[in-house]
Amino acid sequence: MPPVLSADRVTKDFAVGGRQRLLAIRDLSLSVHEGEFVCILGASGCGKSTLLNIFAGFLRPSSGRVLLRGEPILGIEPRCGVVFQSYALFPWKTVRGNVEFGLKMQGVAAGERRRRAEQFIELVKLNGFEDRYPGELSGGMQQRVSLARILAADPEVLLMDEPFGALDAMTRQVLQEELLRIHEHSRKTTLFITHNIDEALILADRIILMSARPGRVKAELCNTLPRPRHVDIQLSPDYARLKSTVWSHVQEELLLQSQGAVLVA
Amino acid sequence: MTATDSTQEPLVAIAGAERSARRFWRPRLALLIKILSVLAFLALWTAATELGWVSPIFLPSPVAVARQADKLMHGGDLWDAILASSRRVFLGYAIAAGVAVPLGIVMGVWWPAKAVMDPFISLLRPLPSITWIPLSILWLGIGEGQKTMIVFMGTWIYILLYTVESTKRVDPLLIRAARNLGASDFAIMREVILPGALPGIISGLKVTLAISWSCVISAEMVAAQNGLGALVWFAKDWGNLALVLVGMVGISVTVLLADAVAERIEWLLLPWERHRRTST
Repeated sequence: MPPVLSADRVTKDFAVGGRQRLLAIRDLSLSVHEGEFVCILGASGCGKSTLLNIFAGFLRPSSGRVLLRGEPILGIEPRCGVVFQSYALFPWKTVRGNVEFGLKMQGVAAGERRRRAEQFIELVKLNGFEDRYPGELSGGMQQRVSLARILAADPEVLLMDEPFGALDAMTRQVLQEELLRIHEHSRKTTLFITHNIDEALILADRIILMSARPGRVKAELCNTLPRPRHVDIQLSPDYARLKSTVWSHVQEELLLQSQGAVLVA
Repeated sequence: MTATDSTQEPLVAIAGAERSARRFWRPRLALLIKILSVLAFLALWTAATELGWVSPIFLPSPVAVARQADKLMHGGDLWDAILASSRRVFLGYAIAAGVAVPLGIVMGVWWPAKAVMDPFISLLRPLPSITWIPLSILWLGIGEGQKTMIVFMGTWIYILLYTVESTKRVDPLLIRAARNLGASDFAIMREVILPGALPGIISGLKVTLAISWSCVISAEMVAAQNGLGALVWFAKDWGNLALVLVGMVGISVTVLLADAVAERIEWLLLPWERHRRTST
């Protein structure tokens, strides 16, 4: 079966003042298969968010292409639903209004919209908060709304851009657990960006480790930890073993980077 | 307890209790001080006029002003003046908002429109509204149309500038998110840009409301038979200083009331901003 989502030798550079160009991603290829949960793990500045923005159609690659079910992504693609790190909720809409938004754009009738929104609000455990505005909610709750909003719109792929990056460690764990549960249900193909090794190990079926600028795929690891999974998987010996493997790759990368810095200096 | 004590207090609970006690007493104390302050001012004013420190030709006593106000209210003249001025403000301001808000939104989302308008805005903005009085009288005489035009000319550019700015400041991430959720250009306009710009537009309208009052008052002072500005101006000609002061207080109170109404409308239109106001 062809992959749901793939990048084919994607390169992206940006103009940075004058004639200089910053190479964010170089020759990157990867693919994500049906129902798979893939984490892209990389240090800040490795171009992982740029990659996600290319998949969402917010940015165009400088060369190479990204494909959704074999067809190139040429503009903003609602079939790839994005969960943003800063939630990007509409402050003037209630929780219900936010969750209904995608359905409204799809032309779903008001009654049906409300019923389906109800269902997803319940899925992220926000019953009782339907009529609140985002500004009245905590960061964790806002990210739940954003998750419900995108799930209600039912895209083919979920693109998650460090969605829990702005949350405190405890809230983060709670939401990771929720996401595991939701993924168990929906089995939605997901590409999840993070710089947190534990997060990648807890959530992913497969981890793609990115090297620092210009971003390339440094290593791919199959996460063999059993599903259904919970955050307490972190206590198992298998987890520790996997983590040390990932860590050794990361360390190697960091070492290369610091040597590079010395060479440049 | 003094302020230095509270900053040295290490216990959070005690500091919190102290803060809530302060929150209880301070507004009450402040209100008392305000009342005392006004009473002291009135006493000083009374003393100054009753004891002959200043001549009543330059400053009438508070009692004279109160008597004048009472007379004016009973005769209905004050209400007529307030009504006449309010009508002019409302008309000029409504037309200005009706023109400037839509135009400002278009300029905010479509740069060629902004480029067309920019040179005129740069030239018109520095002009105080009273500079339009000669032209407006030549064009429209000294009737209602002229007063309305002065209010319009004095306000529309500010409303326009506020609208353009608030439209441009709508978070591009929200537009992105809406597109990602399948929104069309039209839906982006209706669901994201308009509500996103609304708080800024409304605060611009609130600022401009006060400006529109100063426009109408100055227009009425130059050429009008009625209205609060004319009332004050005629009173000066008649040498009735008490009436001048009543007129000034009338203007002040009317503008305050208009502001209060505007606040209330803002509160109704922006339900999502309410929690922010109660929490601070």
